[in-house]
Amino acid sequence: MTIILTIVFTLMAIGLILSMFRFVKGPRSGDRAMALDTFSIIITAAMVLLAHVFERYIYVDVALIYAVLGFVGVIVIARYIEGAL
Amino acid sequence: MIFIILLIIMAVLLLAAAVYSIVHRDLLFAVMGTGIVSVVLSLFFYLLQAPDVALTEAAIGIALTTIIFIITIRNTTRDEDEIIDKENEKL
Amino acid sequence: MKNVFIIILLVVIGYFLANTFADIPFGENRIGDIESSETVAGYYLSNTVEKSKVANVITAIVVNYRGLDTLGEVTVLFLASTGLASILYRRKEEEEDVERLNLPSSRIMRTGVRVLFPSIVLLGIYVFIHGHLTPGGGFQGGTIVATGFLLMLISYKGFNTNHNRMVWIESLAGLSFVGIGIWGLLSGNTFLENSTNVGVLNSLISGGLIPIIYIVVGFKVAVELTGILDILLKIKPKK
Repeated sequence: MTIILTIVFTLMAIGLILSMFRFVKGPRSGDRAMALDTFSIIITAAMVLLAHVFERYIYVDVALIYAVLGFVGVIVIARYIEGAL
Repeated sequence: MIFIILLIIMAVLLLAAAVYSIVHRDLLFAVMGTGIVSVVLSLFFYLLQAPDVALTEAAIGIALTTIIFIITIRNTTRDEDEIIDKENEKL
Repeated sequence: MKNVFIIILLVVIGYFLANTFADIPFGENRIGDIESSETVAGYYLSNTVEKSKVANVITAIVVNYRGLDTLGEVTVLFLASTGLASILYRRKEEEEDVERLNLPSSRIMRTGVRVLFPSIVLLGIYVFIHGHLTPGGGFQGGTIVATGFLLMLISYKGFNTNHNRMVWIESLAGLSFVGIGIWGLLSGNTFLENSTNVGVLNSLISGGLIPIIYIVVGFKVAVELTGILDILLKIKPKK
């Protein structure tokens, strides 16, 4: 069980580092907005997995809120880049 | 052991996003950096077994802070040093 | 030259701050003995479940033990919203046709927002009704409902909120918070005392007056934040 958790968390950390690299490097604003969205979704998945590790299933409410509100944040940034806000 | 390494990686990412948000010249990217700092901070609160504080940081940091700063950027400039550049061109 | 001076000042302040923080023993129990009932933290942790029958200790502290501070926070939010509205709000006859959005939204976005808006409002109402059982509460739930209204405000041009109705809801909510406190005074106890029958632990109707106060606070915060966002989105710079 511990080996599986180690592999999963290592893969998540690699995903976070790659997405951060794209956020720093990306020449246009669309790249950075996508990096923010990917970051938010990986953190949501990590929160659900940690709720299973701590064995308190009431912590899943935090991940529920994050999954919904991360979408609204990216929509607001996209509306501003389009020029409509 | 693996948790300590993951915590160090998250702290380095937090520092990188915060430094990027201060230094960069384009203000829209600074607002996105603030969003990333808020996400990582919420994960830290969650790891310290405080779900109430993590939920408060999630509800405020992504949507409301971003929209209020974007309204400010829309009504003023998007480029930080625009006025200084114009005066340097005149000289 | 000024940058060098700033960096030296930061290094000096950082050194003394690090020295102070290194003296704190990290990871030990610093607020006294939690198990006993002598310290404040120990009293809160051991007596909340038996006396108030509320599963979330943070909600019990915010509403019951420190209820007067929550009334102060609600007053600060009310002052901010009223101050902003009194300076920036224009009635419908006076404004010179200010449009909130420049371009219409695409078809995908209109359909998606129409499906998602009732779900977000329902999620916010869930968070502040179950404030005494799950993490969350009045302030968090109100913010989530305001985010749902923000999503509608940036997608549809013709979506208008009714300012008269929002002012009525906000005033009634604030009045009932103070009214609950005065009812505590009139029935012989202290201000904001939790004096009704507490129910069974972990059910929806438990904890006496605590969920009622949080429902009132949730409505007030949601209506205030929606009003602030609606006013701010209409301010445009003149060309």
